[in-house]
Amino acid sequence: MTRRDFFARAIAGIAGMIGLGLSIPLLGYAILPAFRRYEEPWAEAGPLDKLEVNRPKEFEVVRSVSSGWMTTNSVRSIWAFRSPEGEIIVYSPICPHLGCGYRWEDDKQRFFCPCHNSVFDLSGRVIAGPAPRPLDTLPAKIEQGQLFIIYKEFKAGIVRKEEI
Amino acid sequence: MGRFYRWFSERLNLQPILHHLLDEPIPGGASWIYIFGSMTLFFFILQMLTGTFLVLYYAPTPDHAYDSVHFIQEEVPFGIIVRGLHHWGASAMMIAIGLHILQVYLYGAYKLPREPMWLVGVFLLILTLVFGFTGYLLPWDQKAYWATQVGINLVSTAPWIGGALARVLRGGKELGALTLSRFFAIHTLFLPWLTMILISAHLFILRRVGAAGPWDIVRGGKISEPFYPRQLFMDVVAAGLAFAVLSILAVVSPAHLADRANPTDVTFQPVPEWYFLFYYQLLKYSKGPWEPLLTFGLPILFFGILFAIPFLGRKGERAPAGRPAAIWAGALFLAFVFTLLGLALKETASIRLSDPAVARGKAIYAKLMCAGCHRIHGEGTQVGPDLSYVGDKHDRSWLIAHFKDPQGLAPGSIMPAYSLSDPEMEDLTGYMLSLKKTSN
Repeated sequence: MTRRDFFARAIAGIAGMIGLGLSIPLLGYAILPAFRRYEEPWAEAGPLDKLEVNRPKEFEVVRSVSSGWMTTNSVRSIWAFRSPEGEIIVYSPICPHLGCGYRWEDDKQRFFCPCHNSVFDLSGRVIAGPAPRPLDTLPAKIEQGQLFIIYKEFKAGIVRKEEI
Repeated sequence: MGRFYRWFSERLNLQPILHHLLDEPIPGGASWIYIFGSMTLFFFILQMLTGTFLVLYYAPTPDHAYDSVHFIQEEVPFGIIVRGLHHWGASAMMIAIGLHILQVYLYGAYKLPREPMWLVGVFLLILTLVFGFTGYLLPWDQKAYWATQVGINLVSTAPWIGGALARVLRGGKELGALTLSRFFAIHTLFLPWLTMILISAHLFILRRVGAAGPWDIVRGGKISEPFYPRQLFMDVVAAGLAFAVLSILAVVSPAHLADRANPTDVTFQPVPEWYFLFYYQLLKYSKGPWEPLLTFGLPILFFGILFAIPFLGRKGERAPAGRPAAIWAGALFLAFVFTLLGLALKETASIRLSDPAVARGKAIYAKLMCAGCHRIHGEGTQVGPDLSYVGDKHDRSWLIAHFKDPQGLAPGSIMPAYSLSDPEMEDLTGYMLSLKKTSN
């Protein structure tokens, strides 16, 4: 190896190390936060005594969504009722067909989506209309007389229940 | 690499450009003394890179600036490193510029025909100082807010135009959203462009007039060596070492983030970044009608002299031995600046590091989480009294009695009583007593 070769290699080597030492943290810094999993927290939906047996009611939940350093609160609604066995059932308010908002019709004892006339029974099963899957259930728990749920949204229009 | 380069070179005819870039003659040969210009450029590029990435997660509004910096610092992977490199890189760039100016001054390299290069260099120095001043505000913490408040108030002491100038800097009557957004724009858009243009001019002049080489012109004329490989090697080695040091500093001593800016807390005593400290110290001695002379006259005089330097002194004389007045003036200026810097450091961090009892006391202060209620030079929360100069206010026996029974000496105080062992009590008291305006 000539002297000139030594200098050329040393220069390239050191420059490469600076480049590597910089690009790893910079790329990690720019890319990694985009893949961070966000755990949706439990949201309080209201007092337990509002729940009725086999009669779904609309509950409002304040959902706090954090993006980086900012937390925004938005109000969402869910459908919830109690089964005769005491189980608490919570449905996402979004129709699994194309994402419209459906509602409970007490006189007909059914959930009805006005967009494309999908009909679901109390257990969430599709009775009529184009909906590809039953209503999406949400996790629920009771704590100190309050109903807590985890708000989630699912992809519309597909047979599988897949979280967004 | 070789084949890749050849493929492009055959098409783009790169050989002459490479020859022009690398074979620039260095009179007198390569030397470690010439690395500081390249070092400054390296730090500038590092600041551009890390700064560009910092903007990814930064929000330049008073509502979000602090939270976004906190997010970078605490939650973004490598955030501490990117911000740390930017923070320490700023200081490193100041040091490199200082050494670069010293070398050029000592070697008389600013003389004919390099006066234009010196003038552009002084403008670059000013831009770098403005970089430092505008960047300081961006985290929007207490230090940032109050240091900027003081900085702008200094400008407002200028005769006649001071008030208007301060308003232009703030973007309005008071320091707020408009100030932050304009400081952000200046720091991240205006200055980088301006600096890149001026650096190009600086380097263009360098290539037109050539490197100055040693002050012994005869020797410089006899020996000459191309920039590549040895000078480039030295520059790159220095850059590699500097990068290693900055990386370690970024991890070991991360950039600080104080409390969120609180415009109502008038008790906060801001301390500027170290490269403004000597000037901050000087201002402590200025009182009364002479104040504008120091706050405004002196900087103008300083930069006026800097601009005039290439046109003073005997033409052609570059050796320090032939320029006694210039060398003495430079040495006196350095002595003046470093004395002030030393005094400032002594007063702001008046902790005698040589005293192990003080260090132990400092550890106890940290262990008991005293900073949860007390503040020392901007660190900690302002619930109880500021302890920055507590050593001037109370003596040893008062402090010990107060630690044991706070309410006995300060009725109504919410400070809890601490039962420490006697040696621990001595150490903590020793630390408190070391917190004085002037250390003894």
